[in-house]
Amino acid sequence: MLCPVCHKDALIVEYQDIELDYCPACHGVWFDAGELELLMASAGFEDFRRYLEGILNAPEPDTPERKHKCPACGHKMKKAYIDRDNKILVDICKDGDGIWLDGGEIQHLVKTLAESSPDKGDSQGVLAFIGDMFKHQD
Amino acid sequence: MWEQIRSNQVRSVILIALIAGLLLAVGYFLGLYFFDSAVGGLVIALVVWAIMSLIAFYQGDSILLGMAKARKIKSDDAPRLYNVVEEMKIASGLEKMPDIYIIDDPALNAFATGRDPSRASVAITTGLLQKLSRDELQGVIGHEIAHIKNRDVLLMAITSVMLGTIVILSWYASRFLLFGAMTGSGRRTSSRGGGGGAQAIILIVGLVLMILAPILAQLIYYAISRKREYLADASSALYTRYPEGLASALEKIGGSTRQLKSANQATAPMYTVNPFRKEGMKAADLTSTHPPISERVRILRSMAGGASLADYNDAYRKVRSGKQGIISKNAAAAVGAVGIRQASLSVPGELGLAPGKAAGKAAPGTHDASDIMLRLDKWRTVDCECGARWKIPPGFRDNNILCTRCGRRIRL
Repeated sequence: MLCPVCHKDALIVEYQDIELDYCPACHGVWFDAGELELLMASAGFEDFRRYLEGILNAPEPDTPERKHKCPACGHKMKKAYIDRDNKILVDICKDGDGIWLDGGEIQHLVKTLAESSPDKGDSQGVLAFIGDMFKHQD
Repeated sequence: MWEQIRSNQVRSVILIALIAGLLLAVGYFLGLYFFDSAVGGLVIALVVWAIMSLIAFYQGDSILLGMAKARKIKSDDAPRLYNVVEEMKIASGLEKMPDIYIIDDPALNAFATGRDPSRASVAITTGLLQKLSRDELQGVIGHEIAHIKNRDVLLMAITSVMLGTIVILSWYASRFLLFGAMTGSGRRTSSRGGGGGAQAIILIVGLVLMILAPILAQLIYYAISRKREYLADASSALYTRYPEGLASALEKIGGSTRQLKSANQATAPMYTVNPFRKEGMKAADLTSTHPPISERVRILRSMAGGASLADYNDAYRKVRSGKQGIISKNAAAAVGAVGIRQASLSVPGELGLAPGKAAGKAAPGTHDASDIMLRLDKWRTVDCECGARWKIPPGFRDNNILCTRCGRRIRL
């Protein structure tokens, strides 16, 4: 897969049967829809699809951030906030192929979500997994 | 069985003749209208059709596989998949092992293509390899091999080419017509003052044909393909002696809403299930290339007591609550009684694995199917000590990578 931001070959990292695409140049991560589903299912999130549809149907925020093309289908992706405070702006494929997080967004997401909902047992596993996965960056 | 194939062939020949008639009719009126000569139109229609047929006959399978972005694999790339195909090849009595192709797509589907049983290919998606257990995959492969064995693949190729020719001719004719009307070329009306009435009739018939022919041809095409799906299901049950395998595979495929990226209208009938199916599609839809999945599953599940064609026929009658079976009596009787075997023990996704590795894996949904594709593309794999596995594309230039999980530098 080519990184949608710097258009270089991305690496694939597999851990505990979850596979993610990671760009070593810009540290962005691509969550393929299938992998996201696996990840969420293993954490017990059941209506993950509905959650994703909710994000997709939300109005697109006004932002100067550059648009990227989906690495799976090549169509332009939509900008969307995935956290409650509308701070983390990710790129999401309109056809539901997956979500792209720029470098740093993952750490941001892990931190904000962990702070805001310490009681939510379900999501903690997923966040911890993602956070651990990309803990070290140069 | 053979009689069934033959009766299918007779019906197919009639349907093909119908499509061919349509094709000629379109050419006839096209010629009459545009060149004042019916023969000219007929010649054009035949030439276009002949060229397309020749291409389809000699290059059809490679074009199709290329369009689907399918990759050919060898027995050591995916031993278990190869093994399943081999089993079905032997069970069906096919004379030659078909080539096996993998399509890197998370959608769940499979198709067969080829000119005749001695030169055929089966293609399946990586999604299917990942999600199906051995029994289920066997059912799907059985279904595809049945299409090859019953010579459905060539027939579908011939009909889809004719359909394509009709669509192309009608499309261009209608564009010319529109264009001609817009530029106001009065040649046709002024040059032949006498034949006004006949001219109008030709125009109307031509117009109606242009609109109806593609639709009619498509309906005939669907009629041919749907019947063959039932027969392929029945054959798959017979080859595997385990109808539940295909039934539960169909259920899994039907439950997935992912659409195949590389399918199009002409190639749709070749797939195990219609790649364009949407949720809540009507059951007895005239324009469906495949019978509804739920009905196929119900028929397979109602096959109590045996896996023979007669059992499928009984189940078909029961589910459709009609008198007529899908397979003729003599054909069904020729096979005799076939018992249903026990389910084999397997987990989904193990098919792509080397035998030794399968036992150690607990969780299904591994990435072995996509790993096959990566290996074919010459990717490298390094395991970090922390347990993460990095897969590196062939074009990657750096001589080390940082494992983002544990912070170690891994030399390449």
